[in-house]
Amino acid sequence: MGSVFPRIAGTLAATGLAILVGLGAGKPAWSEDPPAGDAANGKRLYVAVGCFECHGRVGQGGAYTGPAPALAKTALSVEAFVAFNREPPNNMPAYAPSVLPENAAADIYAYLQSLPGPRPVTDVPILND
Amino acid sequence: MSKRRNSPVVGRRNFLKGATLVGAAALTPRAAQAQPLVVPLARAVPRPNLVAETMPPSRDPVTQTTGGGDFMVDVLKTLDLDYCAISPASMFRGVHEAIVNYGKNIKPELLTCTHEEIAVSMAQGYAKIEGKPMAVMTHGTVGLQHAAMALYNSFCDRVPIYLMVGNIIDADKRAPGGDWVHSAQDPASLVRDFVKWDDQPTSLQHFAESAVRAYKIATTPPMAPVMLSLDTELQENPIPDVESLRIPKLTKVAPPQGDSGAIVETAKLLAAAENPVLIVDRMVRTQAGMERLVELAETLQCPVVDMAGRMNFPSRHPLNHSFRHNAVVSQADVIVGIELNDYWGAVNLMDDRIVRKGRPIYKPGTKMVSIGVRDLFTKANYQEFQRYAEVDIAIGGDGEASLPALIEAVKRAVEPGRKSAYEARGKKLAAAKLKRVEQFKSDATIGWDASPVSMGRLCAELYAQIYQDDWSLVGNGIRSFWPHRLWNFDKAYRWNGASGGGGVGYNAPASLGAALANKKHGRLSVTINGDGDLMFTPGTLWTAAHHRIPILYVVHNNRAYHQEYMYLQTMANRRARGVENAHIGTTLTDPNIDFAALAKSLGVYGEGPITDPNELAPALKRALAMVRRGEPALIDVVTEPR
Repeated sequence: MGSVFPRIAGTLAATGLAILVGLGAGKPAWSEDPPAGDAANGKRLYVAVGCFECHGRVGQGGAYTGPAPALAKTALSVEAFVAFNREPPNNMPAYAPSVLPENAAADIYAYLQSLPGPRPVTDVPILND
Repeated sequence: MSKRRNSPVVGRRNFLKGATLVGAAALTPRAAQAQPLVVPLARAVPRPNLVAETMPPSRDPVTQTTGGGDFMVDVLKTLDLDYCAISPASMFRGVHEAIVNYGKNIKPELLTCTHEEIAVSMAQGYAKIEGKPMAVMTHGTVGLQHAAMALYNSFCDRVPIYLMVGNIIDADKRAPGGDWVHSAQDPASLVRDFVKWDDQPTSLQHFAESAVRAYKIATTPPMAPVMLSLDTELQENPIPDVESLRIPKLTKVAPPQGDSGAIVETAKLLAAAENPVLIVDRMVRTQAGMERLVELAETLQCPVVDMAGRMNFPSRHPLNHSFRHNAVVSQADVIVGIELNDYWGAVNLMDDRIVRKGRPIYKPGTKMVSIGVRDLFTKANYQEFQRYAEVDIAIGGDGEASLPALIEAVKRAVEPGRKSAYEARGKKLAAAKLKRVEQFKSDATIGWDASPVSMGRLCAELYAQIYQDDWSLVGNGIRSFWPHRLWNFDKAYRWNGASGGGGVGYNAPASLGAALANKKHGRLSVTINGDGDLMFTPGTLWTAAHHRIPILYVVHNNRAYHQEYMYLQTMANRRARGVENAHIGTTLTDPNIDFAALAKSLGVYGEGPITDPNELAPALKRALAMVRRGEPALIDVVTEPR
């Protein structure tokens, strides 16, 4: 047993995100025509392919062997999001195209963008105890 | 179970004596055979003893005025053992009866448990809060096997457990059936890999000495379980020579401090470092230990990473960077690990990939120091000792006991001209900490009104109900990050560590043992309990009700052994097969478990399942009202997996 609170994925996930955000800003060959997403289908797929297991049903974040980041309103581009799923640079399970085709990943991305994301902390008084 | 002994000892011995004489005659040397035999061979065959067979049988004694168990209780009373957790068993009936009658069920007071794993886990949770062991008694074979997993947890967690098991050493004294299956030639062999010391005394004086020795060994760092096998003949039978018995004096060992030269060398490294980091795990035993760690960190204005094996460092302190672990370790030039369970794992990473390769987080050239007792005691079989840690200075000494000398040495080593640099470092760290805390609060708002309930919402609601009490989080079975992200852990008893060995079934009973320790201090005990863990040891709830132990169980009910669900997902994804079948063998649905009904059936106040987060606060209020009145309570919350 390591720490009572596993930590492995956290910082690496952040590192990976930074790298992939950078990638998203560039022009990978397949990014020139990013697939449009269907948020309703993405919501279904998000549960069906198990994203919610670590990241929560509304993208609030959670844990696997370390913290799994919040995904609601992710700052990643869709290209970076798909690339991250193909080869996560941490303990996150990798999603092969046969399991998560590109258009399905784009639908999930659309669902994540449709989520409300965080609200102002001042709206929740008990978070300030 | 078994009830024992009814042996016709006297008559049988006489018979055997006669047979032995005959046998001896058959083996007599030839010269001796020349002598007339006292008994002609033909008459050596036993014949009916008409006198004996027509007399009433000789009476076995049916009462006694002394018992070895009484003396054992006298010994236990000298060891300051407040409680003894048991699942009743015939193999220790001699001591059991002595505790409740001769000892008046005081020091130790018996705690009735429905499984030996519960008994040992209770003792584990209790010892970490109270700072001393609880006794446990079990059957010698089957009971010990039930207890074994919890003993392993305690061993890995470096917690003293005072375990006694019953056994019948003399085969001639075992009645057919139960006595035999419950006896062993060497009962401790089952658990010797994960107890620090064991013995099987063969006299009451032997017991007295070993009982005191066992306590001393268990409570000397590195602390660990010990085991005594109690022979039933010693427990049950009259004391033959009571006047000759004496109880040795217990003198506890002062925890060893680190070598003074190595401490000074470490202090110089810390004082001269640009980015020193302290990493702590099972270090703090007392409030004074926590305060010393704060003093050391503030002297250096350096970050502390609390691995949370104990409640080491205040969670809201600006220098607590537990949630910036990799960030601070990657920048460190000096790392001092104190009582680390896994030093290598604290400074390296290994991804769960097809090819498992470790890689360092730290920069090349980083100086590393270990302080702790882990190097002083290692066993071979079970691999809980973790990967070998390459450090520059290894100090074999108790972490908490070594801190005063380290603090003084650091203060002497600090150059006055560097204090402004320290302050600047501290301010930078405080700003980074504040930013991280604000991020956590923001993250907690995501899915605030969602159902199943988010763990951020659950933990925020729970804290809102208890933060004005003298609270203690005695368990967090699924290791949710949220309490340590959001709550103000500022006392050594606010948190009680984890299982040590990762054995499921720990959280419910260990939380109860900790709550028992908190009870006399008037603290409010709460625990966040995984549904899967509670299904391993549900009988814990009955013990809570029976002994009126106030504690709130909040069931983190994700309706699965969810960590395994995620591991299965990893395997399925690695093989590109999808996750459609990952629920098989991992989920706890169909039927859903009604934990509130379970609690009620065992005499505990229960509410749930709660699926609407807006119902949380009222339910917590009602349940905590029960706990504040001295009763256990449970609320079942259907949650997000993590």
